[in-house]
Amino acid sequence: MKNKNLILLKALLDSTSQWNVLRHCKDKKKKGRIIGAYAGLAILYLMLMAYSLFSCIGYGKIGLTDIVPALCAMTISVIALFFTFFRTNGYLFKFKEYDMLMSLPFDAKTVAGCKFLYMYLKLLPWYLSISVAMLIGYEMYVTPSAVTWLIWMALTFVLPIIPMLAAAFLGYIITRISAGFRKTNIVQTVLSFIVVILAFSSRFFIESMIKEDKVEETLESVYESVNKTTAIYLPARWFQLAVTDTDIISILLLTVISVALFEILFILVGRSYREINSKLKNHAASKKFSMTVLKSRNVLNAIAFKEFRRMTGSTIYVTNASMGELMALVMGIAVLFVDIDTILYKVTEGAPVTKEMLYPAMALIAYFCVGMVSTTVMSPSLEGKNYWIVKSLPISGKVLYQGKMLFNMYKTVPFALFAILCLCISSKAPLLTTVLSLILGVCLCGFSTTWGCVCGIKHMRLDWENEVEVIKQGAGVAIYMFPNMIVTMLLVVVAVVLGRKIDQNIIVGIMIVIAAALAVLFYKKAMKLAEKQA
Amino acid sequence: MEKKAVLEIKGYSKVYGEGKKAADNVTLTVESGDIYGFIGHNGAGKSTTIRAVVGVLDFTEGEILIDGHSVKTEPIECKKITAYIPDNPDLYDNLTGIQYLNFIADVFGINSSKRSEEIEKYAGLFEITDSLGDLVSSYSHGMKQKLAIISALIHEPKLIVMDEPFVGLDPKASYILKQIMHEMCEKGTAIFFSTHVLETAEKLCNKVAIIKNGKIIDSGTMEDIVGNQSLEEVFLEVHDEK
Repeated sequence: MKNKNLILLKALLDSTSQWNVLRHCKDKKKKGRIIGAYAGLAILYLMLMAYSLFSCIGYGKIGLTDIVPALCAMTISVIALFFTFFRTNGYLFKFKEYDMLMSLPFDAKTVAGCKFLYMYLKLLPWYLSISVAMLIGYEMYVTPSAVTWLIWMALTFVLPIIPMLAAAFLGYIITRISAGFRKTNIVQTVLSFIVVILAFSSRFFIESMIKEDKVEETLESVYESVNKTTAIYLPARWFQLAVTDTDIISILLLTVISVALFEILFILVGRSYREINSKLKNHAASKKFSMTVLKSRNVLNAIAFKEFRRMTGSTIYVTNASMGELMALVMGIAVLFVDIDTILYKVTEGAPVTKEMLYPAMALIAYFCVGMVSTTVMSPSLEGKNYWIVKSLPISGKVLYQGKMLFNMYKTVPFALFAILCLCISSKAPLLTTVLSLILGVCLCGFSTTWGCVCGIKHMRLDWENEVEVIKQGAGVAIYMFPNMIVTMLLVVVAVVLGRKIDQNIIVGIMIVIAAALAVLFYKKAMKLAEKQA
Repeated sequence: MEKKAVLEIKGYSKVYGEGKKAADNVTLTVESGDIYGFIGHNGAGKSTTIRAVVGVLDFTEGEILIDGHSVKTEPIECKKITAYIPDNPDLYDNLTGIQYLNFIADVFGINSSKRSEEIEKYAGLFEITDSLGDLVSSYSHGMKQKLAIISALIHEPKLIVMDEPFVGLDPKASYILKQIMHEMCEKGTAIFFSTHVLETAEKLCNKVAIIKNGKIIDSGTMEDIVGNQSLEEVFLEVHDEK
């Protein structure tokens, strides 16, 4: 008899793999969409590889190549930690086929363990992209032996396990705590946000701990940070020693501890797995309803409210869709209390940037947070099997997507305006710049909403098994997010550089026109797509 | 054929967070060869009980034994001999029908020739052989239900637990399922299922339990419960009285 872990893992992979759909689906359009999504994903991996390779070349050029293995280990670990943390809730708990799997002769440890391994395999291409690119970059300067190549590649498969287990453990603790409350989702969301805020602030905390001297050069500063972090984070240290010194003990430590931690965690999770899942389902069943006066809304607001409830009803959705708003809020409050020049110095690792130079980029900085994710990119697919409800309602496709867009505007605009206002107040920006930045903020939110909607409708996928597939892995999300973020970062640089030569308000004005034009353009495109769907 | 207790529910209770009792001291026994109907109004506690029996839901008090194994302490042993068909089967949409059945056969360790034989037999009976190569996402509700039923039958369980198995099935499939239920119980399989279709329950079951607000209000053999009335009349009577 085959190993049950393998049977389940194979079924999990097949059941969520678009490859399987591609093989068996007869709909040519759907096949085309899947191929397009694969191509998009391949481009993303290539972009990540290019970024990783060029960063290695940068270190190589200034003679800091020896840091590359540790940097690779740290990058993969951080990505593994965050990617897993945001996925744990949807993958390990509250998944749709829980009843089916738990009624089969699998023990809880097998189910939870396989779900974790499934998550690991889904994330593996990201880790491999970074690792392979960095190995190539390392090879360009060090010319390592074949054994080093072998160890590097083999340990790439082991390296993400410890941070992933740490993230899964955090997710497990949060779910376990929140399962004891009636408002499970709210508790879970609040705890998740707390963990994320602590994780972000710990970066500055660690940096301030380990940075004793001012370091002028940014790359050297990163070199220092990585070296000192590696001394604290032992798995990265073991990876480095294994690669650079072919240290067998480090290889064994990394491998054995990863496997042992996996076993320990899933024995622990397995023991309370059914209890937690039962509690999560209990709350949904135990609420008692009493009739009160019902508030009426117009159609658009009713759809927007439905979207709000959909978002807040899912921890994974709300943590992913609201992270940008939270960042905008924290940033806004932070700049009111901490001198903006101090923050700039920290963030830019000592680059000569002053707050005055940032005036034309205030709205872009806020947008970088709130525009990170748009709900409109996910909400069409998130209708999933409930799609029949909106389709059978006496509303046109246009109205449906207008409602979805309205919700994203409600969600983003107040936070964007708050962050921009705080940035402007803190940096003592002139009144005209402040007003123009606020207008630009609204236009950018409009752009994010409409561009997201176009991506969401074009790459709509209703046949998902787990909402993580839409929220974290959807083709639409990737296509929306990456170019959007890269262009925003580039625009911040362009605005700051141009702002030294041209009147800053003119730059903001030009950006208003462009953002508004793009918002209108994508709104029209979204409406056309919505009409086609009807 | 010697009767043997396959499913024993002893004093089972399930309390939800706010003290609401979904099941209250439920006790019943399903023996080999029994077709045991479990009836009650919506929200009476049927599905909660069924989900506890198949090991999906944790429970507060009592004991559930399947062929002498405790659901709480020996869940795998219990699941190896149990088949569960939920009311709304959430199957893997991106697998084809045959991939899904193969997955289940793998889990239960059924050898290749046996699984092919069983799948062929039941898929033929339910007339979905031609669709087995299609993705489950393209199936209608009834076809998904048929697939779930086939997956439950291929490993020859000692106990079959079904939650509203006839919902979504076409008349022919319903008839075939009833025939299969008879065949299975002749071979000694115990069947425990919930239904709202009292006429079907009356014709099909040799035993029945009526649950109301989490409590069993009447149970026993069909003859004892019904007497010279219909099950519908009895159900309405006891439901209104107790």
